[in-house]
Amino acid sequence: MLRVEGIEVFYGEFQAVSGVSFQVQEGELVAIIGANGAGKSTILRAIMGLQRCRSGRIVFRDRDITAMPTHQRARLGITLVPEGRRLFPDLTVEQNLLIGAYRRIDPAEMEEDLERIYGLFPVLKERRSQIAKTLSGGEQQMLAIGRALMSRPQLILMDEVSLGLMPKYVDEVFRTIEGLHREGVTLLLVEQNARKALAIADRGYVLETGRVVMEGEAARLASDPRVKKAYLGG
Amino acid sequence: MIWQQLANGLAIGSVYALIALGLTMVYGVLRILHIAHAGIYALGAYIGLLAFRFVPNFWFSLVVAMAACSLAGILVKRYLYMPLLTLPRIVPLIASIGLFIAMEEIFRIVAGPYVLSFPADPGLGSLQLGIVKITNNQLLVFLVTCILLAVLWFIMSKTKLGLAMKATSQDLEIASVMGIDTERIIAANFLIGSAMAGAAGVLVGVYFNSVYPTMGSIPAYKALAIIVLGGLGSIPGTVLGGLLIGVGETLLLGMTDIPFPRDALAFIIMILILMFRPYGLLGKE
Repeated sequence: MLRVEGIEVFYGEFQAVSGVSFQVQEGELVAIIGANGAGKSTILRAIMGLQRCRSGRIVFRDRDITAMPTHQRARLGITLVPEGRRLFPDLTVEQNLLIGAYRRIDPAEMEEDLERIYGLFPVLKERRSQIAKTLSGGEQQMLAIGRALMSRPQLILMDEVSLGLMPKYVDEVFRTIEGLHREGVTLLLVEQNARKALAIADRGYVLETGRVVMEGEAARLASDPRVKKAYLGG
Repeated sequence: MIWQQLANGLAIGSVYALIALGLTMVYGVLRILHIAHAGIYALGAYIGLLAFRFVPNFWFSLVVAMAACSLAGILVKRYLYMPLLTLPRIVPLIASIGLFIAMEEIFRIVAGPYVLSFPADPGLGSLQLGIVKITNNQLLVFLVTCILLAVLWFIMSKTKLGLAMKATSQDLEIASVMGIDTERIIAANFLIGSAMAGAAGVLVGVYFNSVYPTMGSIPAYKALAIIVLGGLGSIPGTVLGGLLIGVGETLLLGMTDIPFPRDALAFIIMILILMFRPYGLLGKE
């Protein structure tokens, strides 16, 4: 479904991603793990079109999207749950969700999706007319995920969704991701929490200073001694 | 006489609000101070006057001026700001000031350095409210401002476009992730803001019965003071700021004997706001 071929991304003179290649199959949950600053977020930003690739190709459903503007990628069905949530702070919960469905027109479908999201996260329904920035961190993360789901995406990119959350929300977020995976949604996850990410993923890639150094089935990676030592605390 | 002065002040303040709205809308999406916006305002006065000489009807000239200014605003966005967006913000600011000065020179060369009269009479008549007399022209300013603000309010709070405009000003990058074509939303901000500036140009031209090349000079910087007062990027704040400055100036001038330069008030307020409440009256911290 998604094929990333040897992309290189620079911030000015600094090379954040050096020739990374990987792919995500339809219905898969793939995790990219690695230390802070390994280039994980940059890869997601490049797939979404928020960061230009100096070389390499990004192919989505056999279509080269490397040069496509972000909003068109969104219309193809790619969405991003960004690091730090990045809600529209002064819009209400419901307005944030409606913006998520911006590319769709049918109001009946929209209402149906809204109900689906509220079913998934009942707390959002209670707070539907509250201003987004007044939510707690965990609630904001639910809203960020809900907003992404409102577009009925084909591929969801998730950037450090567990970062900065209280443990009970971390579990809830990972349960939600697992649930989406079971429903057949394709997910690409970038996580510092390697243990949790590998526990739910099908496959994983290990990133070090902008390069893929290891890849394979998540269970195998999780039991690899090098991964254990570096990312799972021994 | 305070009520009479208040009416005068509100009329001036309404026009200030209309001018400053475009500035705040552009700042909201691009974080650029669009100084050339005051050039668009003066352009509106000239185009309105030109249209009036062909068809001597106020409403006709208003619509023509608004349409022409929308187009001019889009062109400025497309050919001046878009190529400069990736550069440090001082670059588009300087380009904007340059364009503004160039526009004033063009007005002077094309229409002459004179004060032209704009004798439009919308035929509204005047209104006597107790001891306060609302003149023909004041009535016109209030009416047009109310209509335009109502339209803007409707767009911003009742339409999908308005929601997308708010989202884009709050987080442009994520708005595009949501499938919003942010380039078009930015264009919509320029279009709407410039149309309002054009309307303000026509209103001021008619109100003072004068149109001249440098009529945008003081509003250019005063609009800046108004959006700082209201809170950068805040639409309600800008309307409030415009009205407050308009009323403040008029009262200070009309009710006291202090020889106070009228135009200084806005800037003194701006400096105080920047020192003590940098996010303005209704802006976000």
